[in-house]
Amino acid sequence: MSPGPASAIDFDEGEGLDWPDSRIRGEAMVTTADDKFDAVIVGSGAGGSMAAYMLTKAGARVLMLEAGRDYNPDEAPMLNLAKDAPLRGAGTPDKPFGYYDATIDGGWTIPDEPYSAAEGSEFIWWRTRMLGGRTNHWARNSFRMGPYDFKPYTRDGLGVDWPISYDDLSPWYDKTEKLIGVYGTNTGLENHPSSGPGVLLDPPKFRAPELFVKAGGDALGIPVVPARRAVLTRDMDKRQQCYWASPCGRGCSIGAAFQTTTSLIPWAKETGKLTIQTGAMVYEVLLDKSGKASGVRYVDKASGAHREAQGRVVVLAASTGETARILLNTKPNGRSEGLANSSGQVGRNLMDTVGSGFSAYFPSLEGRPIYNEDGAGGLHAYIPFWQYKEIAAGKIKTPRGYHMEIGGGFGEPGIGSFGGFDGYGAGLRGEVKKRYGARFGFTQRGEMIPNANCYAEIDGEQKDKFGIPTLKFHWKWSEHEYAQVEHFQNAVKELVDRLGGTLLNEVKPPAEAISTGGEIIHEVGTCRMGASAKESVTNSLNRTWDVDNLYLTDGSVFASKAHKNPTITILALSMRASDHIATRLRTGEL
Amino acid sequence: MPHALIQKVPSPETLEDASLTIDRRTTLRWLAAAMAAAAPLAACGETKSGFVWAVPQPITGKGYGKDPSLMDPIVPWPLTLTKAELAACAALCDLILPADGDAPAATAVGVPAFINEWISAPYPDQQADRALIIPGLAWLDAEAKSRSGGVFAKIGEASQKAIADDIAYKGKVKPGMEKAGDFFARMRSLTMGAYYSTQEGWQVIGYPGNTPGSGPYPGPTPEAIEHIKGVIEKMGLTYAQP
Ligand SMILES: Cc1cc2nc3c(=O)[nH]c(=O)nc-3n(C[C@H](O)[C@H](O)[C@H](O)COP(=O)(O)OP(=O)(O)OC[C@H]3O[C@@H](n4cnc5c(N)ncnc54)[C@H](O)[C@@H]3O)c2cc1C
Ligand code: SF4
Repeated sequence: MSPGPASAIDFDEGEGLDWPDSRIRGEAMVTTADDKFDAVIVGSGAGGSMAAYMLTKAGARVLMLEAGRDYNPDEAPMLNLAKDAPLRGAGTPDKPFGYYDATIDGGWTIPDEPYSAAEGSEFIWWRTRMLGGRTNHWARNSFRMGPYDFKPYTRDGLGVDWPISYDDLSPWYDKTEKLIGVYGTNTGLENHPSSGPGVLLDPPKFRAPELFVKAGGDALGIPVVPARRAVLTRDMDKRQQCYWASPCGRGCSIGAAFQTTTSLIPWAKETGKLTIQTGAMVYEVLLDKSGKASGVRYVDKASGAHREAQGRVVVLAASTGETARILLNTKPNGRSEGLANSSGQVGRNLMDTVGSGFSAYFPSLEGRPIYNEDGAGGLHAYIPFWQYKEIAAGKIKTPRGYHMEIGGGFGEPGIGSFGGFDGYGAGLRGEVKKRYGARFGFTQRGEMIPNANCYAEIDGEQKDKFGIPTLKFHWKWSEHEYAQVEHFQNAVKELVDRLGGTLLNEVKPPAEAISTGGEIIHEVGTCRMGASAKESVTNSLNRTWDVDNLYLTDGSVFASKAHKNPTITILALSMRASDHIATRLRTGEL
Repeated sequence: MPHALIQKVPSPETLEDASLTIDRRTTLRWLAAAMAAAAPLAACGETKSGFVWAVPQPITGKGYGKDPSLMDPIVPWPLTLTKAELAACAALCDLILPADGDAPAATAVGVPAFINEWISAPYPDQQADRALIIPGLAWLDAEAKSRSGGVFAKIGEASQKAIADDIAYKGKVKPGMEKAGDFFARMRSLTMGAYYSTQEGWQVIGYPGNTPGSGPYPGPTPEAIEHIKGVIEKMGLTYAQP
């Protein structure tokens, strides 16, 4: 790993927040030509890496600060066997998604970096501490938001509109998809926009159970169409196409599954303009006398030293929770509201995807001919929301849509695959053969409407091991989300019934069936963008209203949480914002 | 539950976050466990035969941590089953999955060693299994001694089956043996999971994956297409490619 950038200067631990500027910028600092970064970016996940790529490509000198350790996907145990891992790779509190999952130093908890949930709230927060962040193990599902999704308030009077429309972001979706590689098709379905000509890669063929479910869907008017995922189905530069084996959550060292550690970060490095400092836990933004951002302050985890890094523009992309935390922990002139928070919206409007799911068993799939169904290690088919017209006509109760992520088949048998059998010996062996490949899952991924009960704030009583005040989450679903779960339950029952199947989980009341806040790991919204400084934290270009050279390029800026998974939109917004930052840097405006 | 379920843990065909929904209760339990002080396990009581389901010594060591080597995994915790327990465990594993034609027996692919690794792990799920399995193995031996005068591993298949038949079938567990029934069910799913997740097990079940290919994904074989088309049409539905 590269040593710390030369511009990072030590200062004593425990120094107050109201540092005289002379000490930040002053004599103590050894300045060389190398010291001056055009941009300091916090976080190396989706939002931070896209900014680093765009800015270095435009010629800017960039320092990227990442709290986690360096990571090279050559560490990914792609084809390694479950039997060689402790506990056959089963999830544990140390590695909740399994031993081979790419997550490093993370999960639902990080030792000595606590968070809390308010009395009566349940919220769980998935973090990693590694270069590339959660892009190393995300599922790569990449669905664009549509025209309705940017103007939800206009449609139904709930939540707020974005300050941009679909048309504003559409060209950036195209550029992002072309750059990172996304498979899928243009379905022409309502509020599921098409990509530009030649943008998408060919999707992989449907597996047999997906064809089966499609037949049921066709009969009921429920669309079952090719999914969109950030996975290559042909070679792109040095990145190889998918080789149809290995779970993508382990990381993809051949570069087929998009993650920033095999793409944006190495590409930015190739420009010679990117300096990466890992093990750098940022906790506040530095301001100069005029109130502009001049850099950030961080803990160098290896030495425990507190350091500073300086740049002409500061980009926060530490993830929705952490970006809000950094702003709330920055107290310019001792102001308790935090930085860029004149609207009072920092930390507010926290949203996650609505989740629930069913497993179903289909006797007619028993004993079907076996072939390799690993495929692209994830969705080949999905069910986009299909009832916008019914919503508009007031025919159904849920005001907002969801999609279903579906799958099942001849998967790798695992340690947790064999509940619910009976007996022993030869009879048992026969049952296993019979049932293999006859199970199929339906997962709801739905839109949540922001509400006043869901937010993050600084927990006045808790600090992490670095002494940084931690987050406290507040959470409460509303009746809108419960109505949506019920709609999903009925739709799955109908579909499974038409296909002669049986649900394997009981149908619970929506309030019990719904996911815990944060559980779907699509948290967004804590620094939403908007049309006015009064009601939002950033403008339509991800720039904070209060600080002219401070940008937020992660999911924190989302004004709504469409049912579409957020990352492709984080990437497109970051690309668009970074293009604008690059122009301002070039013209000397920053 | 009308049909037994093949539950998914994250696997190649895992949906996005599918594991989250399924693992939610586990997750919350872990979090709760992390937050609460470790409560002593409740004593499990006595069965009719006078056998005591004694609570085993819990494991207090460390796990593998949050950044273990994925390329060279090691099991850092000591294994704790005694020789006698391992013998009973092996006999039971082979009763559950005996050799069958080309299919090896559970012991031939190392299942008892895996059970030992599992119940010796310092994690909450494994600790819960430990509290069921260690006394369960002792129950097997006690039961075998009282019925056939020897430990479970030594009484021969017929006598072993006689015991298993009392505890292996849902809804038909012999009254008073409910705890042993739970033990058997847990041993069965662990044995099956450990067995079918080996390459030998893949062969037996027919899992053909984890094999890199090239070119486009081939999709279902012509035979598989014919089959699914038939299934679809038999239900009065229409087969169509996307
Ligand atoms: C299992 C799983 C499956 C998922 N599947 C999908 C999917 O299919 N589709 C989809 O759209 N989304 C999916 N997601 C969500 C997706 O991973 C996130 O939306 C995305 O990674 C967010 O990008 P980000 O840049 O905001 O944050 P991250 O990717 O989390 O990156 C933030 C980075 O900042 C670093 N950081 C944090 N705090 C600090 C600090 N104080 N100082 C310095 N650095 C800091 C972190 O260590 C991290 O590396 C999934 C997530 C998980 C965990
Ligand atoms: S399935 Fe394909 S994309 Fe996923 S990890 Fe394997 S090779 Fe990479």
